[in-house]
Amino acid sequence: MPTLESLPHVLPEVALAVTAAALFVLEALWQPRGRARRVGFPLLALGGLLAALLFLVASPSSAEPRFFGGLLTQDPFSTFVRGVAIVATALAVGLALGSPSLPSNRRVEYHGLLVLLALGMCLLSSAGHLLMIYVAIEIVSLTSYLLAGFDDRGGRSAEAGLKYVLFGGVASGVMLFGFSLLFGLFGDLSLSGLGQALAHSTTLSTGAGRWATLLALVFVLAGLGFKIAAVPFHMWCPDVYEGAPTPFTALLSVGPKAAGFAVLLRFGTGLWPELATDAAAATSALPWLLLLGVMSTVTMTVGNLAAIWQDNLKRLLAYSSIAHAGYMLMGVVAGGREGPGAVAVYLAVYLIMNIGAFAVVSAVDRSAHSEDIGVYHGLGRRAPLLALAMAVFLLSLTGLPPTAGFVGKLYLFASLIHHGGFWYVLLAVVGVLNSVVSLYFYARVLRAMFLESAAGEPAPVSLANSAAALAVVLAVPTLALGIFWQPLAAIANFSGSLF
Amino acid sequence: MAQVGLQHFLVVAALLFALGIVCVVTRRNAVAVLIGIELLLNAAGINVVAFARYGGNLLAGSAFALFIIALAAAEAVVGLALIFAIHRRLRSVDLEQTETLKG
Amino acid sequence: MFRVWAIPLIPLLGFVYIGLLSRRLSRRAAAIVGCSTVALSFLVSLEGALQLLRGEEALTATFYTWASLGDTLVRLDYRLDALSGSMALIVSGVGFLIHLYSVGYMHGDRGFNRYFAFLNLFIFFMLTLVLSDNLLLTFVGWEGVGLCSYLLIGFWYEKSDPPPAAVKAFVVNRIGDFGFLTAMVLLLAQVGTLSISELLQSAPGAFEAWPVGALAVGLLLFLAATGKSAQVPLYVWLPDAMAGPTPVSALIHAATMVTAGVYLMARFRPILELQPQVLEVICAVGAVTALLAALIALAQRDIKRVLAYSTVSQLGYMFMGVAAGGGVAGMFHLTTHAFFKALLFLGAGSVIHAMGGEQDITKMGGLRSKTPITFWTCLVGALALAGLFPTAGFYSKDLILADVLHFGEWGRILFAMGVLTAGLTAFYTARWLMLIFFGEYRSPHHHPHESPAVMTVPLVLLAIFSFGAGWGEHAYAHFVGRVLEPPEGHVPGQVIAWASGAGIVGLLAGFLRYRSLVPGPGPAKGLARVSERKFWVDEIYDALIVRPYQFLSKVIASWVDGGLIDTALVNGSGALVRAAGRIVRPLQNGQIQVYTLAMMVGLVAALGWMLWS
Repeated sequence: MPTLESLPHVLPEVALAVTAAALFVLEALWQPRGRARRVGFPLLALGGLLAALLFLVASPSSAEPRFFGGLLTQDPFSTFVRGVAIVATALAVGLALGSPSLPSNRRVEYHGLLVLLALGMCLLSSAGHLLMIYVAIEIVSLTSYLLAGFDDRGGRSAEAGLKYVLFGGVASGVMLFGFSLLFGLFGDLSLSGLGQALAHSTTLSTGAGRWATLLALVFVLAGLGFKIAAVPFHMWCPDVYEGAPTPFTALLSVGPKAAGFAVLLRFGTGLWPELATDAAAATSALPWLLLLGVMSTVTMTVGNLAAIWQDNLKRLLAYSSIAHAGYMLMGVVAGGREGPGAVAVYLAVYLIMNIGAFAVVSAVDRSAHSEDIGVYHGLGRRAPLLALAMAVFLLSLTGLPPTAGFVGKLYLFASLIHHGGFWYVLLAVVGVLNSVVSLYFYARVLRAMFLESAAGEPAPVSLANSAAALAVVLAVPTLALGIFWQPLAAIANFSGSLF
Repeated sequence: MAQVGLQHFLVVAALLFALGIVCVVTRRNAVAVLIGIELLLNAAGINVVAFARYGGNLLAGSAFALFIIALAAAEAVVGLALIFAIHRRLRSVDLEQTETLKG
Repeated sequence: MFRVWAIPLIPLLGFVYIGLLSRRLSRRAAAIVGCSTVALSFLVSLEGALQLLRGEEALTATFYTWASLGDTLVRLDYRLDALSGSMALIVSGVGFLIHLYSVGYMHGDRGFNRYFAFLNLFIFFMLTLVLSDNLLLTFVGWEGVGLCSYLLIGFWYEKSDPPPAAVKAFVVNRIGDFGFLTAMVLLLAQVGTLSISELLQSAPGAFEAWPVGALAVGLLLFLAATGKSAQVPLYVWLPDAMAGPTPVSALIHAATMVTAGVYLMARFRPILELQPQVLEVICAVGAVTALLAALIALAQRDIKRVLAYSTVSQLGYMFMGVAAGGGVAGMFHLTTHAFFKALLFLGAGSVIHAMGGEQDITKMGGLRSKTPITFWTCLVGALALAGLFPTAGFYSKDLILADVLHFGEWGRILFAMGVLTAGLTAFYTARWLMLIFFGEYRSPHHHPHESPAVMTVPLVLLAIFSFGAGWGEHAYAHFVGRVLEPPEGHVPGQVIAWASGAGIVGLLAGFLRYRSLVPGPGPAKGLARVSERKFWVDEIYDALIVRPYQFLSKVIASWVDGGLIDTALVNGSGALVRAAGRIVRPLQNGQIQVYTLAMMVGLVAALGWMLWS
């Protein structure tokens, strides 16, 4: 679809861009003080996000899914992921209200960058063209680098930002090199064009052509793997999560990951269109799926094993989020309609439970000024409601019923099992084994909260802040969706298709 | 003298890429690592331009190359800003100093 | 209108009530709510069982329908049939008595209300496990009881690190869970449903073309059972789990949770039967466990440890009974064992209570006259454990041995192991009784006193059941025989002769040997030392798994001095899981160069692998 007619379909992105620009311009021109600064700007950001969400829900359906001459591809899956990205950003705005980890004089930039990040994630999840993928990834990455280094209270945040930018730079450099090779091999930049060229090409199955194609694919995987924090492209993740301001870490663990999965899925289905319709016929995509399968196995195993030893809750959740990327990769491997559907369900669940867990960490951090597991001792007695919410999130992250996390995992496993085939079932078994291991470290936190008493006289944990309120609110759907999972089934049905 | 062809550009780009990787992995100075990243990006840029010139899809390739240049600059800006932040705190840009986050 | 789901739900309500009001609720109220909810669910189970007797085949109730998953409908069904009904009666009945006993035992404990909340939660999960007709829901119960066990083992620890016992139990049970989940995945993949009653119906057809699959499912289910029910080689956690309060040991680690594996085997008999080798493996592992644990129990000094190893040994019997013959024998032994082992544990608790916390049986003695009720009830329990006529243990043990004798090629050997175990069991039971209740009172301090009525009443009730439950053998076999294959005919005379003979000889030997002899304080000598040191199994695990790993790591480290491998492997001592966790960590050393290098290595590895393949 040409440019002008495409515009009504990207109104959410337009709303986000306008909001971000407004935030930066207002800050520069007006420089408000006091209440206007504390409350007005977050409200403006929230308003922009809400408008984007409304536009998204009301966006007109179109027979032709490709816009701007193929730069953007909109399908139910991308619509869903855009929703996840916007909601996650809104939650991060809420978490940041009154958070001590953000310097008060730079709050406005924080919100501007957040909205910009949301824009990047939206673009990334519907990018159908190598150029668009690159630009969107860079928007997401560049804003993330800055936000990770935002906390100026200690050196940790700046160190996190620096590590993030250096690692991310290398990853995107490698990916870009892969893009350039793909461009050279197929003479096209749009994913659909690449797919057609790949299907008709005969030189790519042997010799140097095969070499180059594989090289390009592996390089591309580096960039995408970096975005979803899959092993071995995950190493930035624990350090950055730990150092970054907690409200932003919460968003970072969900939003960019969701967008990364969208682009990963689109890349697969773009290059091998049969993946989208018939998973069993995906033999031509075998190296790609095999790579992803191995990556999934290694990612969840490394994430879970490394998490066992963590004493810092943010770091523990970072490794846990690595493991969860591994779980979601299972859905990507399963393919067909069911695979993306399962990934979508898991993303929705993960959005709620993971941001919820970070909200608890943020709430505790506000009074205890620490994320160490030690300050969680006896939380069950000091702040029962908060501890209960955390328990729900942790059980959900483990995947125990009756929580939403269980439903999500069930969808992922079922997608592999329904696909059938030895390797697919084996991957499901590995996933199961990993869930079992993960109980080990989540239960450690449960123990600390409910069975151990705090040493000395710990500071009382205040519930009167946005983080605690959000945590308690998010615990409700985490539990409710585990029991009434029709909404999740609807998500799976809706977002199973990619074009 | 042989005609300069596609291969020559590709070899240069590959060398540049390899140098970038070596630079990133071995240098301890944060600025040097950033330079290594720029090498990676420019290697890709050379590839794209060369493919565009010899492959025929000139418009798409050129546009891509322009974006690479612009975004490489943006990346350098953000990277340098963060290096400044570290320098303010540590008085050093040595990456061996930034190891408090680990484990 | 009868509702099956009410049975597990009532204790859950109790948990919610006590848990939510924990700090505001008086101890009295917590105790009343805790006990009455379990009693109520016992009554409901009883009503259900009566309905079954009136001719219903099974009572089912769909508690809730989760959404469909592809073609698979996930329904949370509770189903009460003769098998699950008899288990529900044991769980809620014995559970109630132990609740009652706990009121006295935990009297004065700081965590009184918390304790009752957990106990109720446990009953809920256990009943869910037993009554569920959906494998997923069974798994909820399976995990839940494990969680409660973990919480209650560590109940008295408020230090920063979880007690090693709780961690051990946790890790071993994860191995079992792996078996359970993998079996579940395979069943779902092959049969296409998770409903247990449908699975049992259609599994034989579905696995006809894939016998290896049936074998794998059977063995994986058994692996799950070995973890939960403490069989060789995964039994090591149960004796250590005795660190928790004694009523918890009685309820979870003797009467109910550890028998879940036996129940699982009985429930899935139709699938296990598809590959007869599976039953042989189960029977053999049961026999080995029974014998090994009985040998270890011979020289233990801790009053609860003797009982713990005895439980492991008796569980071995149950597995033999469930695998050989039709399975009724194993379930019947499970029932009688629930009575007499709960009785012995509660008796032990009463002794510990009387002795003011002392647990070493060599420091007791002469308690017969000081705690008469405890003594007489324990005597009944001990005789039942030894399998002496006419106690309940006599009937159930003989039933098992009769089945085993005619089971497969190895029947005679397994039978001999069973008889030997019976003799050893009688011997250590006699030793246990003699050292505690007979002879001189050997403890220098403290004046022992009998426990209050709230503790002795459950003892007496359990003693009555331990004594008389065996007489219901035929009624039980008839009842459960609706689900499992009922045993044929009577127990042959030679089996009774062998088993009772071994029991009487063991008892007499034990009485005579420990009439005056008290083991000294130092380490035991000769064969007794082998037993006392638990056959060095913990040490063997250490030597076979942990040490070679450490050795290997040292060798490698001496080659590659310093750097990555050094820190990764040498520091990686301790349990294997933890070690694995540590291997991943040193890479994350904070250096961005190492991170990018790891990325490059990953890229090259991926590329090399793809080109090579």
